[in-house]
Amino acid sequence: MSRLQEPSSLKRKQPDSRSPLDSLTEHERIIYNVIRSKQDMGIWMQDMKRVAKVPDNVANKALKSLETKKLIKEVVNIQKRGKKHYVAAEFEPATEITGGAWYSNGKMDFVVINILKDQCLKWIYKQRVATLEGILDAIRKSGISNVELTTVQIEELVRALVLDNEVVEVKSNGMGEFDSIPVGKVCYKSTSKGSRGDPKIGAMSSIPCGVCPRISDCTPDGIISPKTCKYYSQWLDF
Amino acid sequence: MATPYGIKFAVHLITSHFGNLVANVCENLLRKGPLTLQQLIRFTELTPLQIKNSLLILIQHNCVQPFSSEQIGAGGNEVKVTQYLVLFDNILHRLRFPKFLEIVSEELDKNCGEILEGLLQHGRLTLEQIYERARDNAVQDAVRESFQKLLNSRFVERCPAPEPFVEPSTIKSSNKRGAKSAKLDEVSETEEQRVLAAAASLDTLRFSILTPSGTEFDEDKKDGDSSSSMGVGEKRKHGAADSDDAFGSNENEVILWRANFEEFTRYLRHKACIENVRARLDVGAATVLKAMLDATRSAEKKVKTENSVSLSMDTIFEEVMKSEAGRSLTLDRVRASLVQLGCSSSGTDDTYSIDLKQIIELAQKEEVESIVLRRYGRDAYRMFRLLSKAGLLQETDKIADMTFVEKKEAPKILGKLWKDEYLHMEVEYFNLLIKFTLSSNMAICDVVDKPRLTLSGMSDLVLMDQNKEIVNKFVVDRNTTFYLWKVNKPILWQHVLDEMYHAALNLSLRVIHELDQKKELLTIPPEKRTGPLEKEFKRLKNAKFFLESSLMKLDDALMLFRHF
Ligand code: SF4
Repeated sequence: MSRLQEPSSLKRKQPDSRSPLDSLTEHERIIYNVIRSKQDMGIWMQDMKRVAKVPDNVANKALKSLETKKLIKEVVNIQKRGKKHYVAAEFEPATEITGGAWYSNGKMDFVVINILKDQCLKWIYKQRVATLEGILDAIRKSGISNVELTTVQIEELVRALVLDNEVVEVKSNGMGEFDSIPVGKVCYKSTSKGSRGDPKIGAMSSIPCGVCPRISDCTPDGIISPKTCKYYSQWLDF
Repeated sequence: MATPYGIKFAVHLITSHFGNLVANVCENLLRKGPLTLQQLIRFTELTPLQIKNSLLILIQHNCVQPFSSEQIGAGGNEVKVTQYLVLFDNILHRLRFPKFLEIVSEELDKNCGEILEGLLQHGRLTLEQIYERARDNAVQDAVRESFQKLLNSRFVERCPAPEPFVEPSTIKSSNKRGAKSAKLDEVSETEEQRVLAAAASLDTLRFSILTPSGTEFDEDKKDGDSSSSMGVGEKRKHGAADSDDAFGSNENEVILWRANFEEFTRYLRHKACIENVRARLDVGAATVLKAMLDATRSAEKKVKTENSVSLSMDTIFEEVMKSEAGRSLTLDRVRASLVQLGCSSSGTDDTYSIDLKQIIELAQKEEVESIVLRRYGRDAYRMFRLLSKAGLLQETDKIADMTFVEKKEAPKILGKLWKDEYLHMEVEYFNLLIKFTLSSNMAICDVVDKPRLTLSGMSDLVLMDQNKEIVNKFVVDRNTTFYLWKVNKPILWQHVLDEMYHAALNLSLRVIHELDQKKELLTIPPEKRTGPLEKEFKRLKNAKFFLESSLMKLDDALMLFRHF
């Protein structure tokens, strides 16, 4: 859970006064300057080599040395996992590179996300109506997370639950089930039926053509047609 | 607005009901808009007689409305011409006849059902013909009573004027029914409305059995028709075919009756609203809504009315108490249901009205979201719901963040939705905003100050001009290129509707195909169908039932998007 970080910004560390910069070779300096010029976005190794115009073996050596001197660091770029990407040590890598708070090692951390979403959902269903603060409090007390979660993070999770159609966002009117919640306060409610799971299946999506990936290629007398359609054959195979 | 597959499906319905000739005429009218007889001869390459007969059938079955207007003739002077306007909706209604019959037998009785069945089968009938049809089964008084019931509940109406005159200035010269052009269709929609308005009978007459002079038509017309020995449908055709300029213009004294599709549509719209509320809210709210709608149905001015007719609290309660389900509700409960339904008392007069449009829109949204979920998966579902709620352009990474989708995956999912026309996409390249519209799998991009350009490829964008010369290549650099996405509701709804017509056509074609494949099986007499043959036969029967009931269910969704 230590992966949950604050959304990063340009956090510049104070460079040391006796800077290791003085001890750099010329190639190291060129490479360091290229990487540093990209600020928090950093640069992919191959691009860097092209820009710096340094021979491969020299560049590799220089990169290692710069890393040992803690002037640059390798980060995982979520767009190009498995490709070496470097950022100057004085910058926190940008969220475009790391993916942000919910990413770990360049991958979205679904295990953590799903556990937390599930906890939020359970609490909302138990309470029927819940506020963000209430959910946050419940999760803190449950001890499920050993890291302090922020309200913003809980909000992100609950918003996703709304998009999943598992809960709905409502404003308190201060009456009935809302009587302990100030009027106008945004809260979250279990969906009306109190039943979880997939939303109602529509008429269109319950027939093969409704969910067919090939519908735009399908014509009455074409190669893909209702006569030759394998989806129908499966569907009608009682 | 008839979409491309809407036209194909309508033509399919007409072909299977009336054959290829009639379908040919119908298709030309659907694709080109109102046409004169001369134009039809030119476009269909059929003989004038074939066309006339086809038109007669279409008019008889309320699928075509003739109208006359003045046009500048060859000599430069104004001449009166007859044009034929096809009624797309009425063609589709043919699919729903079983539903209409069910409504009448549920709401009224079996005798009314029989009268309606005759009307649906023959399109239009005189009162006399209605009596004639029923002669063996029921006494005339009973038939008259049933007919009156049908009129009172507005399920039957007087036919509109056979050939109204429509001011030429109000008729657009454009006869094109641009398949994908919403603008053109809007024009023909209003044109259609104008013609229909001109043809409509006065409200007072529409549901009245009496002629303007106050007599019942059949009394004095009984022997007026010389061909009374002919079959019901036959007679109408012949009667009208004799008049050659305008079909049926000799009918100003003959009163014809037909099923009132508008009322059935309204009934089904109400039912859809009530069912949606029952599923989304609860039985109480559905009971209250039903009571309100039942009480005010005849007061509604048009089918697509936005709000239900206002009622006072007292009236609502009184209406609720009329039904068995309603009698268990207290006044407080009724009030609570009204709040659930999103209406609080309006002003001082304590009257309530329900936002029906909102209920319909919710139901439409559910239907589309359900397609997205089942076709593209849960991540796409979340993204789609986010965009449809936001209503404005959103950037890929932001969408990914808010929906917990991997940033690497997000463009792929969004791209798929865009390719299938479920999303609208714009690209911001440096400061150039490029708008994309898809037309038959080719993207048209509008770049500010540039001619129309086309695009190919999703991962690296290549802009080409009309000659397929490459104008610009987009290196998808995340620092300079931003993809923006949006749900464009009016366009998407139209697209979904078209897919539904497509699916309806496919269902119907599959039924035909299944039966076709097993032609021999159907000719075997039941006693010889044993063992595997019996099993095969059962499978075929099941398949047919399954496909046909799916079509009826799909039609509910079609109505939701087209008529409600
Ligand atoms: S008929 Fe088959 S291939 Fe064609 S759209 Fe339907 S499911 Fe897809």
